[in-house]
Formats: sequence, structure tokens, C-alpha cells
Amino acid sequence: MGFTAKNENCHEPKPFKTLTTDKKLPVIVLIGMPNSGKTTLFNSLTGSNYKTSNYPGATVEYSTGKFKSGFGFDAIVLDSPGIISLNPSSPDEIITINGLFNHPKFGQPDEVIVTCDTTQLSRQLFLIKQVIDAGFSTVVALTMNDLLLKKEFEVDITLLSEILGAPVVKINSAKASGISELVKKVSEQYKENFILDKRINVVQPVNPKEEDVALLYDFTEETERKVLKPANTKLDINEINKKFFDLHRKPDAISAKLDKFFLHPFWGMLIFIISMGIIFTSIFWIAQPLMDLIDSGFSSLSHSVSHLLPQDTWYNNLITNGLINGFGSVMVFVPQIVILFILLGLLEDTGYLARAAMLVDKPLTKFGLNGRSFIPMLSGYACAIPAIMAARTISNRRERYLTIMIIPLMSCSARLPVYGLLLAFLVPPDKPWIAGIGMGALYLFSLISGSVVAGIISKFKETEEKSTFMLELPPYRVPVFRYILRNTYNKSLVYVKQAGPIIIIISLVLWALTFFPNYDLKLPREKTSGLTEEGISKLEESARLNNSFAAIIGKNVFEPVLKPLGWDWRIGVSLISAFAAREVFVSSMAITFAITEEDEANIQGSLLSAMREAKKSDGITPLFSIASTVSLILYFMFAMQCLSTAAVCRKETGSWKIPLLQIGLYTLFAYILSLTAYNVLNFIGIN
Amino acid sequence: MPEITEINNIKTLADLNTGDKGIISSVGDDCLDVHCHCLRLMELGFTPGQEVSVVAKSPFKDPVAVSVRGTIIALRKGEAECIKISSNGFHS
Repeated sequence: MGFTAKNENCHEPKPFKTLTTDKKLPVIVLIGMPNSGKTTLFNSLTGSNYKTSNYPGATVEYSTGKFKSGFGFDAIVLDSPGIISLNPSSPDEIITINGLFNHPKFGQPDEVIVTCDTTQLSRQLFLIKQVIDAGFSTVVALTMNDLLLKKEFEVDITLLSEILGAPVVKINSAKASGISELVKKVSEQYKENFILDKRINVVQPVNPKEEDVALLYDFTEETERKVLKPANTKLDINEINKKFFDLHRKPDAISAKLDKFFLHPFWGMLIFIISMGIIFTSIFWIAQPLMDLIDSGFSSLSHSVSHLLPQDTWYNNLITNGLINGFGSVMVFVPQIVILFILLGLLEDTGYLARAAMLVDKPLTKFGLNGRSFIPMLSGYACAIPAIMAARTISNRRERYLTIMIIPLMSCSARLPVYGLLLAFLVPPDKPWIAGIGMGALYLFSLISGSVVAGIISKFKETEEKSTFMLELPPYRVPVFRYILRNTYNKSLVYVKQAGPIIIIISLVLWALTFFPNYDLKLPREKTSGLTEEGISKLEESARLNNSFAAIIGKNVFEPVLKPLGWDWRIGVSLISAFAAREVFVSSMAITFAITEEDEANIQGSLLSAMREAKKSDGITPLFSIASTVSLILYFMFAMQCLSTAAVCRKETGSWKIPLLQIGLYTLFAYILSLTAYNVLNFIGIN
Repeated sequence: MPEITEINNIKTLADLNTGDKGIISSVGDDCLDVHCHCLRLMELGFTPGQEVSVVAKSPFKDPVAVSVRGTIIALRKGEAECIKISSNGFHS
């Protein structure tokens, strides 16, 4: 083992080159322009064993994995977002490029693999030349060779390697060809550097000028002319020149034809509306049965566990109502997240996502948003949690944060039962269609209010980052479903691991507030006579909630605040419970108003009559008037009544700033709006 | 509708109609916006001397899809205005 011997004699301060110990594995970084086949290569190199993390204090993601064991070279592989050049032009690019030169966790890479789409050689060589010039020990992976062959050209890799001074390998990730050769080249170069004890000194390019870019392009164009060889030697020089000219000037022919359709002012919009409709219905309707399944799964689990544990103990309730339900409320969002990420993956990998963003960019810029904000906003109508995660596709940080900021205003599906109950109260029972119109108006209004809020914030918040679009419309491609599924699995796992604990802690706190201090409550016999066991336990639950810490807070803190809105502490308690999820408001109202109905279908009916009979603390005026119900609806439209959303928001933006702003600002605004509406309605005599 | 200018007049990429082609004469010269991302436009491949053509426009006429170096890139109108075209104007 010559390597180790050398290492022992060498007074290297850093344990930087150790081939035999696996304490510090070589670090290989993958770089490439967007759509250059980088992520597909990463998948082929690492298999399914990789994880996604964020750069410290930032929301830029990178993935780490290890070479598959079959390659016989043990190394850590890093994949970060695609870059255009080594000169960053946005805060996120600064993080990505700094991470390339000096990764916060892995330091400077030992080897760099740059992917290069050979059908765009002059553009892609740009980044490769920059990387090599910066001093990295580089291996070039040529992708899309089959597409180039269809255009009757191939790359002379020996010549290209000579010109660049770096090994060049042709790969095809889908067919898994060239991958092991690529790894071989990487390991050879790594070992050679090691034997020669070559220190890699990298220098980050500083403020390049436009002339520098032009010069670099002169080099790439010249190189392209040299290394592209006609695949068909029978062609004469004129035909070759024509084909070379076409390769240079004409984008992918099939894509050009499809774009005539997909970007057409009429057909393009029609296709856009249909595809967005499919996304919306999928996350709204297809996810619903799965969510119900998870929901009922967890409640039957909670039921069976409850029977196994000693009855009427606080820890029985903690485990069943606190922990299992808390975990259930994390898992219930998984179907929507999975479906949304599969669909987003399909749109992205086929090449349509970029086109969809282009189609609707203009109207969204009016509100400081971006074409890519559309899908997250649409998803917000199903649930804010997957929607906020979908905002990752917005590359401009300011526009991403702004989109995340307004997503909670979109009328999510958890508001449906609340609106359903309150509208049913307002509307005469023989005219249910009025409630339908009301619901439609609420949906439309949430879109308007979201846009207005985005517009106002973007006017007031100073621009640190200029809004740009500059988006490559990649050639249409058939997506690899396997990779999309793997990607979706990884993203869902990140949600469960990172947002999950916060959601569980929040639901445990809410559980404790609504359960203590009178957990061991027994009702006197005379109050429960004539009721079934189920009815008794419902009454007990009601008495427990109405004497809980939440009720104490409701009575002492919320009641004075809520009185001007026409509400009392019972609504306050339900609002506290509804921080777990908005739809909990309805079931919580049923508990506070002591609905003993067992049949679920009758709960709403009994609750409605209980609401009609409910009186204010004076015992005379009805609690629920038109004015107080309208103010409640308005409150639910704006208030950030969902702590799970806040948890995901914290995770996606990397700080509590935006979630706290949402809780503070939206709740305050909701309060003021409800207050105004209640008083105006009372003033004009509608109550 | 952008006014129809003389084919040899100096105009920008934003003035071209769908299907029009032109040669880039300069990028970001006398650009009024100091925060302009002209360098990034060049890095994307919009260098002087390159032929560009407008592939499609969005229904709102902005952004435009431009073909350069065999790639299609969508640009907002404001960005396309940074790219000056010396058209030898032929239609495809």
C-alpha cells in the first residue's frame, strides 16, 4: 500500500487525502446547466440511496449520496441546483456557487463532474471552461449523444479532452451506458492527484466583464466547430455545413412543432387551463379518499390503543388523542403532497412547466409574482401545506417568499366544513342554492384578496433582487417515471421528518390546553340519566373542554377581545382548537355546545339548532346573529388559523419571520375586518 | 402591436414579431436600467453576432420565446429590450 506509506511520511495538516480510511471519503460534486441531464446522472450514480438537505441557514437544497457499490470507488456525491455560470446573479445562486467552492459541510470538492448537453455544445462548454479555469479537477460527462446522433453529428471526445485538458466521457443515464467508465475516469484522476500529491487550488472568478463572456464564447464556438464530426461520412461538405448550421440555429424540431400548439394564444391557453384543472381536481378529489383512509386508520388505531390501555387515565388520552392524532395530522397531508409532487415532476420533466410559467407570467407580474407562482397558488385551494412546498419551483427568492406569504389566503379545503356550517346557518333551509353562490363568492374573493395582498407587499417591500424571467424552454422529453417517484418519496420524507415534529408538538400543546386540568371529570348521576354510554362520554368531553385551560384562556383572555365581534368564549375555545386545523372548528363547536348526537349526519343539524338557541352571557340576546356569523366567516377567510401551515412555512423559508408575520398580520387584519363588518351590519340593522 | 419599423433600422429583440429573425449587434449598450442582467443574458448565449429568432409569444405578448444557439429561452419584454438587433431581416 504505497499510498498509505506516503501519507504517513507526509506532514499534511489536513486529513484530506486518505485512500484507505473511510473516515473521509473523496467528495465528488456534480455541476451542470439546468436541463443538462445532471439530476438523472446523479440518480444513476447513487441509486436510491441519497438524501436532500439545505445549506445552513438557507433554503437552497442539495442532495448527497454515495456511489453505488458496484462501481468499486467509494465516494460522496453532491448534487446542487443547476447553474448557468460561476458568476452568481441571485442570492440563491451565490449560496450554490459558494457551496461549490467551499461547501459548509464537505469543504472543497476533490473531483468535479460537469454534465454537458452535446446538442448545445457552444452554450454548455461555457460553464465547463469556467469550471476548469477555476482550477477544479474536472471530468466532463457528455449527455444527449443519441439526440446529437439523430442530427447526424458526434463529438470527437479525444480532441475535446485534449482541448479542455480534462477527461471526457459519453454517457447515457437512461441506458446506464458510460456510467462506470465515468466513475473509472473520476477515480483514476483522483488517485493520480493523490499520488502526485497535487494540491487543488481553486479561484473563484471575480466580476467578469461582458468582454470576458464574449471571449469565452469565442472559445466555445471554435471548440464546437473542431470537435463536432459528421456521423455519416457519405455526406458531402455542403450537406454537412447545412446540418451544422441547422444544429446551431434551429431548436429541436419536434419541440418547435409542439410549441406551435402549446404556446398558441388560444390552444396553448386551453391546454394550460385543462392541465391546471387536472392538477386541481387531483389534489382536491383524488387525494380525498386517501386522506379519509389515513384519517379513519388513525382513529381506529387510537380506538384500539385506547382499549388496550387503562381507561380514564390521562396518559391513555395523551397517547390516543394527543400523540396518535398528532401523528395522524402529519400523515393526513401526505397524499396531497405525493400527488402534487408527482404531477409537478411530470410537468417539469416533460418540459411543460417552463412553458406554463411563460403563459401566465405577465398577469402575475402585476402583483409582484412570477409565472411559476400559479401552480402553488392553485394548490393552495386544496391545502396550503403542499402548496407552500410547491413554491420551491420559483427560482427568484423574493417571488417565492411572496407566493408563500399569500398561499394561506387561498380558500383551502379545510375551510369548506366551516363555511358549510356558517352558510347553512345564514341561509334559509329551503334555499340552499344561496349557500352555493356564497361559497363560490368566497373562493373568488380569496383569489382577489391574495393578489391584492401580494401587490401591496411587493409595493412596500424594497427590492433586493430584480425580478427576472430568463427561463430555458427545454426540448420536450418523455419523463422517467422511476426518478419522479423517487424524487417525490424523498420530498415527502423531508416533509414528514422536518415539518412533522413541529406539527406534533403543536398538536400536543393544543391537546394539553383542551384536556387539563379537569381530565378526571365525572358527571353526577342525575345529569346523565337516560343517556347512552356514548352520550355520557360526549357530555363529559364537553364539560372537560368547557373547564379546560383553553376555556380559561377563552373566558379570560379571548372573551373581552372577542366580545366586540359578537362572539363569546365558546367560539374562542373552538378557535383555539382550530389552530390544529380549521375543520376542527366544527367538531370543537359540537363539543363546546354539548351535542350528544351520535349519528354524524345529524351533528350539523343539532349543532345548527344549538347555535340558534345559544344566548350571550346576558341570557337574552342570541349569540349567533347574521352579523356575528358574517364576521366569523370573514375571520376565517383571513386569519392564519393553521399552525401546521406555519410549521411548513418555517421549514420552507428557513426562519420564523414569514410564519410569524402571517399569524400576526393576517389574524390582526381578520380581526379588524370582522369587527368592522359586525358593527356596520348591526348599525344598518342587519342582525 | 409594435409599429412596423424599417427593416434596417436599429431595433431590439422585443420589437421582432413571431417568426422574425435577426443578428445580435450588442447586448446592454446604453441600457437605462442599472440593475440590468445583461451579463446573464450574454452568459445564456445572447452574444453579439448570434442569430436569434422569435419562436412564440405568450398570449399577453410578454414574455417571448427566443431561439438562440439551438435553444429556446423565454425572456420578458424588458429583458429582450436589452438585446439590440441589426436585422438583415428575413422571415422564416
